[in-house]
Amino acid sequence: MDRQRASRSPVWLALLFLVIWHNIAVAQNDTARNLFADYKSAILQIRIIDLASGSKRAIGSGFPIDQNGLIATNYHVIQLAASEPDQYRIEYFTEDNQTGLLSLVDVDVVNDLALVKSEGVVAEPLAMAAGEPQIGLPVYALGNPLDLGLTVVPGTYNGIDKSSYYQRVHFTGSLNPGMSGGPTLDPQGRIVGINVSTAGNQISFLVPVGQLRKLVAEYQARGGAVEDISQRIADQLMADQQQKFGQMLALPWLTMPLGDADVLQELSPYVKCWGGSNSSDNKAQHLRADRSCSSEDNVYLNSGFNTGAIEYQFFWLEADKLNSLQFYNFYQSLYADFMPGNRGGEEDVTQFECDNNFVASGTGRRTKVVVCLRAYNDYPDLYDMLFLQGTVDHSDQAFLSHFTLAGVNKPNSLAFARKFMEVSQWP
Amino acid sequence: MAIIVEVLGWGGKSRRHYRVASDSISIGRGYDNDIVLADSYVSANHLQLVATDKGWSIEDLNSRNGLQVIKKVGNIEQVFESGSEIKIGRTRLRIVAEHQPVDDARLLHRLEQETGKLSQWWIWLPLFLGTLLVEFGSIYSNTIIEWDWGKAIPLMVGLQLMIVLLSLFWAMLGRIFRHEAHFLGHYSLILIASLIFTVSGVALAVLDYNFSGLLLTRLLEYLVLILVVFLLLSANLALASNLSTRARWLSAGGFVATLGLIVLSVELVSWGEFSPLPEYSSKLEPPALLVREGQSNEEFLQAIEHLFAAADNNKKQ
Repeated sequence: MDRQRASRSPVWLALLFLVIWHNIAVAQNDTARNLFADYKSAILQIRIIDLASGSKRAIGSGFPIDQNGLIATNYHVIQLAASEPDQYRIEYFTEDNQTGLLSLVDVDVVNDLALVKSEGVVAEPLAMAAGEPQIGLPVYALGNPLDLGLTVVPGTYNGIDKSSYYQRVHFTGSLNPGMSGGPTLDPQGRIVGINVSTAGNQISFLVPVGQLRKLVAEYQARGGAVEDISQRIADQLMADQQQKFGQMLALPWLTMPLGDADVLQELSPYVKCWGGSNSSDNKAQHLRADRSCSSEDNVYLNSGFNTGAIEYQFFWLEADKLNSLQFYNFYQSLYADFMPGNRGGEEDVTQFECDNNFVASGTGRRTKVVVCLRAYNDYPDLYDMLFLQGTVDHSDQAFLSHFTLAGVNKPNSLAFARKFMEVSQWP
Repeated sequence: MAIIVEVLGWGGKSRRHYRVASDSISIGRGYDNDIVLADSYVSANHLQLVATDKGWSIEDLNSRNGLQVIKKVGNIEQVFESGSEIKIGRTRLRIVAEHQPVDDARLLHRLEQETGKLSQWWIWLPLFLGTLLVEFGSIYSNTIIEWDWGKAIPLMVGLQLMIVLLSLFWAMLGRIFRHEAHFLGHYSLILIASLIFTVSGVALAVLDYNFSGLLLTRLLEYLVLILVVFLLLSANLALASNLSTRARWLSAGGFVATLGLIVLSVELVSWGEFSPLPEYSSKLEPPALLVREGQSNEEFLQAIEHLFAAADNNKKQ
């Protein structure tokens, strides 16, 4: 009898869990239902209309934030219209099939936000939450996923991601294409974030509402629309890299060993590092250990162009069974295989210009260093830099270090290169 | 005075000649002539040559297609001196006297004189072993996975087979043009060229690594390739054809120029095409082949500052 009861208790527990879960779900659904009913008129579909074909080219979501027709969305939703104002116009489309023209008034390209304005008031504006919500609070993302109509996605507020340089709220829920630019609301219907991206598997990201508040304040202080959006973006990129590199270069750059060399540790929160080696490969004739660090959130500029990426890598190589000629042939194939950390097309960036020379490192080792640079066509004084330094004075060991920076000005890129060369060394 | 009439062929070369010891000779298709030509555009009795003090006068015997003067030697009207050329029907003729001087005998090309040497085993065998060794070294030093004879041997045999096939091709040309084939001579020449090319390639790579000017090295590589192909072609032509030195150099030069133009046009097609990937000098060689000392960090960072302006210059206007 006792044994029977004991065996039954897990079943009881499971049932209990199911019931509780069910109750939460019901409660959540009630809130979702209420929010949906209360705010559906405030969730707009933002459409980018191609002027020549008269058809929509891209869609996203947006929401009114003041009584004068100001509407918030993502920069990446309206980017086409921002870059090619002669080819596209921006329209909103309400839940009750109202439509109207929108004009772009301001952007925050670093935080992927945009402000657009309608002629009249489209709907009752949403209020912004005053402070940061508690972690674990149920929140509700609203938007128009895949053009399926207005949708509410319940999820959990998981706080601002501390491991990321650009502030993003980790939202446990499924954001889908088309929900970008829509609001995520707390149970009281106040904006806690703006839907921006997803990493799949219920991991999604919101722009914290504080960034939106800052952008609105800047817009209101200016008292009107930004005249030159491209200049506005250039200024924001320049200021962002200035701040980011200022902070990063002021940090103590600590090292850790890789092979016999000292390599730069993780520069948090700018990059995350991973490592690997071929030591378990029985057929390998050489030894390779590597450490790769890269930033995870880049600044979106258009579908083929992003910036803000930082990455650095270190390789420790030993010839093992290879002779010197073979080892250097292998080393050369690795050395030849580096590319920029961000994407850019012909319209966005110039061709790379490269130079190389032999450099005696601080520890007296002879190295071959390559530096490649490309400029941004639309944003003056910003460059992508690729740097490569490999030791060439040991016949059966080598230490290779590499970094790429995206969207950085001349003084910062040179300062980064200088510090990087000083810190990452093979004594 | 005897008269010699040459029937000319391709390139104005004498195909056959007639020698007639008479002051007056007739030329035509008919068998009653002194010189009988089997050209259906020539009349049965086409013309008559009559000796004068200085040369010959030509009398057209009412031929159907007449007479065309190609080259008249001498200033006297109606008198054709030794060396004159005419055309009747479709046949070109040169009229020469016995005393017409001829060019000095041409010197045989050194290669031809020494063909015998090139075909001897103590020349081609070391060359063969040398290329085999160089190729093995190249494959071996480029192998970074476990060494596998099964993969290396087909590669080496493949290259040797190509050289043999190329030599056979030249030997066949020699057989056609000169009724003489110098297979081993061609084989040695090709082996020498491939050795020069490989060794110069290694030397250029070391040069590029130490004093890297990416464009200059590539240019030098092309120049060496062009030079080696030109010399090889010219030498092979000397062995396999009857071309004069000038013609030989012209044909080898023409071939190389055509090849160069094709390579150049292929390069030009992609010239200036946008690439999102950086093109940098990635050459690395073992420390033993490095002769340069390094700059300091600061010197290097100063030296690359020009890249910012260079990148800005690439901006679209």
